[in-house]
Amino acid sequence: MQAVVVHPGTTAEALRSRDAAAHLKTARLESVLLPSKTLSAAQRIAIYQEMYPLRMRDALASDYPGLEHFLGRRFWDFVTAYTNAHPSMGYTLNRLGDRVPAFLARQKTLKPPAFLKDLARLELAITESFDSPEAGVLRAEDLDAVAPARLGRARLLTAPSLRLLDLEWNAAAYLDTIRDEGHDHPRPRRSRSFTAVVRRNYSVYRFPLSEAAFLVLADLRDGRSISSVVKRAMSRRGPRRAAAQDFAGWFRQWTAEGVFSRIRRARTSAP
Amino acid sequence: MTSSPPGNRFGFKDLGIGIGLRTVHYPHILSTWPKIDWFEVLSENYLDTGGRPAYVLDQVAERYPVALHGVSLSIGSTDPLNREHLRKLKALADRTKAHWISDHLCWTGVLGRNTHDLLPMPYTEEALAHTIRRTKQVSEILERPLVLENPSSYVEFKGSSMPEWVFLARLAEEADCGLLLDVNNVYVSSFNHRFDPVEYINAIPADRVVQYHLAGHTNKGTHIIDTHSDHAIDEVWNLYALSCRRTGLVATLYEWDDDIPPFDVVLTEARKAEAFRNAVIAPGRRGRSRNPADVVSI
Repeated sequence: MQAVVVHPGTTAEALRSRDAAAHLKTARLESVLLPSKTLSAAQRIAIYQEMYPLRMRDALASDYPGLEHFLGRRFWDFVTAYTNAHPSMGYTLNRLGDRVPAFLARQKTLKPPAFLKDLARLELAITESFDSPEAGVLRAEDLDAVAPARLGRARLLTAPSLRLLDLEWNAAAYLDTIRDEGHDHPRPRRSRSFTAVVRRNYSVYRFPLSEAAFLVLADLRDGRSISSVVKRAMSRRGPRRAAAQDFAGWFRQWTAEGVFSRIRRARTSAP
Repeated sequence: MTSSPPGNRFGFKDLGIGIGLRTVHYPHILSTWPKIDWFEVLSENYLDTGGRPAYVLDQVAERYPVALHGVSLSIGSTDPLNREHLRKLKALADRTKAHWISDHLCWTGVLGRNTHDLLPMPYTEEALAHTIRRTKQVSEILERPLVLENPSSYVEFKGSSMPEWVFLARLAEEADCGLLLDVNNVYVSSFNHRFDPVEYINAIPADRVVQYHLAGHTNKGTHIIDTHSDHAIDEVWNLYALSCRRTGLVATLYEWDDDIPPFDVVLTEARKAEAFRNAVIAPGRRGRSRNPADVVSI
């Protein structure tokens, strides 16, 4: 029955499929399922078969509204191909779309794959941020409470909801426009950008970053001490380099955005 | 005045009339804390999130009784039970002080796959023994009697050797589990499979019914789809009235999952159940035996 329900073709094709035939030894559906007074056995199982892709589509569209908007009618093709490659194996549909970015990167039918992958990465980051564990939020006064002499060795713990994205294509710009049908949606093009996604008061926000700021935030997320992060940032070259005067503004903004959950002070006097 | 029949054998409380906790109603619930007896929570939506859904659920569970209702237990499947799922389910029930945990008499997939549909089972002795064994296991893991809901279905297996209501009644007795009697599902399946829904209702062990489900459906002419997208029809209310007379007052929940209207519309529909519940408590209160179906038509 499952082989027929999840088959993307017609019910007749599903019944002839290798998976179904393996379990339907007599090759007659009526040997397993009864007809009703109004429907044949095939028409009855078709009810389940018709509902399956609708559920898959709803789940993926819920997590990937930008992808659905961009693909339009081709979104159905994507749902079929994706759920064939990666059927739900868990108790929740909330994780059905976890492999979408990797799937879009390697498929060749829907174009441009690299743009689609970036769009999916951004949307997956939003979903992950939405569902991430709740943690406290660092307030500006928490930072002020740390003696300047000890600040350098402290570590700023980022919120579990923080996701940092280095995007090669203009996926973030595209996603900005999908709610506005009157807007000219940008055509896919290569355009590198850096984005932070974070949840604050149970809503997910995203904001653009410079490359230098992106690298600083990534270092903080990875658990480096503040002095180490600053030193590394100032030793980089070109647009990756941060200037001394950048840090106060960044830290103030990121604290206000809820990027940090708390500050961990160094316990020893070791460097 | 006659008294209501005694409650269920598990001592689960009659929580009154509730509706399902749905995302579209979050703002209304959080801003008004509506007057409603209880909420049913779709378990799987809250097992793996630490975000807004978890926050809302915790707020709701602080203020209202809740019961957990799942769709992925797959009690009839031949796949092993998902212990991780059950562990999280128990933790969620403990956190929300859920009054009970329910799921469906169905299978959702095999070979590791989940179709996320409530697929019907063949009603055979072998399937019954299998389901009894698994239901006992689940109840043991959850440390409370599992509550199972009768499904709506669109196919029947040729190999079935007993009707669904016999299978369900024997399962409940032999696995010592509770029942969530979905009256709309009884009606939908009775239409699709041409059986007498009254016979179904009368075969259910009344003292094992701990909850009712009511809902609307979509009649396609040749068959009915259980869409949860409308008001319940009079025939469903009449079946509910019939069953209430057997079970006494049991927690009742109105399901609306597609084309979900504003909260108050769902609540108004759910509160129609009040008339039937009152009729169970005091059928002669007004000096005559009132037909609950008349109340619906007012």
